[in-house]
Amino acid sequence: MKTEQTLKLQAFLDGELSETEARDIAAWLARDADAKALHNELRHTRKALKDSEPRVTLPESREFYWSKIRRDIERSAPAPAKPAPASPLLWLRRLLLQTGPMTVLGVALLAGLIHFCWVDAKLGLATESTGAEAGTFTYHDDANGTTLVWVNFPAETEIAMNTTPW
Amino acid sequence: MKLRNSSSISLGPLATLLWLLAFAVAAEAKDLQFQAYLVWAADAQKSPDPTHKPVDSEVRRKLHELPLKWANFFEVSRVSLTVAEGKSGTTSLSDHCRVEVTDVNGKNVEVSLIGKGAPVLKRIQPLPKGEMLVLGGNAPDSTGWLVVLKRTE
Repeated sequence: MKTEQTLKLQAFLDGELSETEARDIAAWLARDADAKALHNELRHTRKALKDSEPRVTLPESREFYWSKIRRDIERSAPAPAKPAPASPLLWLRRLLLQTGPMTVLGVALLAGLIHFCWVDAKLGLATESTGAEAGTFTYHDDANGTTLVWVNFPAETEIAMNTTPW
Repeated sequence: MKLRNSSSISLGPLATLLWLLAFAVAAEAKDLQFQAYLVWAADAQKSPDPTHKPVDSEVRRKLHELPLKWANFFEVSRVSLTVAEGKSGTTSLSDHCRVEVTDVNGKNVEVSLIGKGAPVLKRIQPLPKGEMLVLGGNAPDSTGWLVVLKRTE
């Protein structure tokens, strides 16, 4: 007998098969003596195990017994934590989540304003142009707040002579 | 119980606040004031021109902080220049040297240097109060010329 057939027989005994399968197994038991013998053995074993199980009788009703367990669990469980005071970061996160795209847009606008109104003004994003033949050298002294722009050509050239202010 | 009629709130304080705000904004719109110097840079202890005098101590200190090779700086001329908000101002530092300053957007100034009628340099940059823009070039006999523009207000 195959293992699969043995398992089917156990399932039949436990009432776990569908109606069709149960009918097939019953027919199989009727024509196969080995199967019938195994079925009887399994049935006796099952009965023996069931009869030998100790019976425990609760001193109180089922509801009362379980309610005691529930109370014990509730007593030993930690008290629900009080809500923590909202930290600034949590508040900011909540605000960002709620305001979403508007906040992003606002931050972008603010960054742009800071860039154009402060960075450009303070860091000195300068432009310059010179006469056609002259190059320049620029030096900025942050500590003294001084910018030097040197118009770079030899002093003896005609341009230099024309540029010299005296 | 009496209910306050919200529409009866006086607009007086609000109008005063707006007026003060407008006044503050107007007060902020000040003229830009500059001191412009024409300076001769040399290693000589004295200028051959007796009208030249050493530049004042603050300008000298700042010039010495710059990567310039000369030991002495002589003031050839000095003029004050006032530029109205958003406007331009021009001043002559010598017969051949003119400086034009324009308030570009309240934060930047455009400085144009004109030498012997021809544009030498035009530069746009921020120039906050107390800061100095120095334009310079080589002059004959290993000397140099400088145009110093100091924002005073």
